[in-house]
Amino acid sequence: MAAELRSTFNLSLAVNGAAWSGEIPIEETLLELLRNRLHLTGTKRSCESEVCGACTVLVDGRPVSACSYLAFEAHEKSVRTVEGVARGDQLDPLQEAFIRNIGAQCGYCTPGQIMAAKALLMENPDPTREQIAEWLSGNICRCGAYGAIAQSILEAAQEYRK
Amino acid sequence: MLQSLQLVQPKTVAEASGALADLGEKAKIYAGGAELLLLFRNGLLDAEILVDVKRIERLHRITSGDGMLRIGACVTHHALEKSDLVRAHAPALAYAESQVANVRVRNQGTLGGNLAFNDPHSDPGTVLLVHDAAVTIGNKNGERRMALKDFFVDMYATALEPGDVLMEIEVPQLPAGMKSVYQRLHRYQRPTLGVAAGVCKAEGVIADLRLAVGCAGPKAERLNELETTMKGAAFADAGKIVAQAKNYLRDRLRPVDDLLGSADYKLYMAGVMLAAAIEEAGREKNGSGA
Repeated sequence: MAAELRSTFNLSLAVNGAAWSGEIPIEETLLELLRNRLHLTGTKRSCESEVCGACTVLVDGRPVSACSYLAFEAHEKSVRTVEGVARGDQLDPLQEAFIRNIGAQCGYCTPGQIMAAKALLMENPDPTREQIAEWLSGNICRCGAYGAIAQSILEAAQEYRK
Repeated sequence: MLQSLQLVQPKTVAEASGALADLGEKAKIYAGGAELLLLFRNGLLDAEILVDVKRIERLHRITSGDGMLRIGACVTHHALEKSDLVRAHAPALAYAESQVANVRVRNQGTLGGNLAFNDPHSDPGTVLLVHDAAVTIGNKNGERRMALKDFFVDMYATALEPGDVLMEIEVPQLPAGMKSVYQRLHRYQRPTLGVAAGVCKAEGVIADLRLAVGCAGPKAERLNELETTMKGAAFADAGKIVAQAKNYLRDRLRPVDDLLGSADYKLYMAGVMLAAAIEEAGREKNGSGA
């Protein structure tokens, strides 16, 4: 057998623009790496079955469920979490719109909602309300703030198009 | 936390097959993990080693030629949803791929992983049956090809043998004049029911027809006998003929009660959706089912 069997992985990646490298177990999820090693606790653990969207982060600009994405898969890739959305003190238009519209009640799903919305607006900065609903159908808000979430994304989209 | 895992990343199918043969049952093919990691987390599958087949370059290709679309097993649902080749060759497949779970799963999950898992509540297999799709399987001894309908053996069971690697999905062009659509019923992320129809209509008559239903019972099924019955019938009578075929549908689909609906509900909706899908596929102007 030519391919080598290994128990750990020498991972190098960028998280919110900062390089990180280290040796990690194969079974470590991206969520565990972000929360336990990098202390980026904005990304939430919830259903752990790719359904609720609370752990949504972007890997090379595309949303994934960090709970069910093995961290070694992010090797030589760029990961963005909710902590990396603002530029310094300047909030992202999505964050400003969520605050303005009260696009959250308890707030637990909000980081995932914002990351999913960010991915949508990067791909399509002029979504319809239906396209927003379709794209975010995998991000559950159990408080039911969907109306304000959709409105926030529509408003932020105007800023993204400028 | 997941159980302790080891990783091997072969570069060729032969290497992957060799690793699977050497490592035995404790090794599992890892093609994206969208389904596999859930099984681990819920204690439904015992494995110690991941054989990551995503480093095998040829499993990532989408090509077409001689009327055949060829999809590597490690192509993601998202790539298929967006592929111009897939949209041109099999728009109903592109549409079905756009409906898989959610955007995160589509970025991570692969067509090969989906078919090899053979979850009864899945989308792509149903459309692929209407396309008479086939799969190529590789192992240490070479490659073999089989029809997708024979690859699907039972709920969560396929024709893959130990050491086999699903390599490629072949999607033949539909017959001239045939249009296909996919329709999906869902309340949660996995479909409650999926129906695919390919219709060739000539002067108000169903000249040719292919039908498949997924999610009702253990696996997606083509409805060959109903297709034969309906060929030559008036297009306007399609709904009536489907309604009369309830006993056949029950025998063929073997619907079961599950969390997404009762057997009776799924059987009833299969009839409704078959009629609707035939109607949509037979319309003068039709699209992807979207």
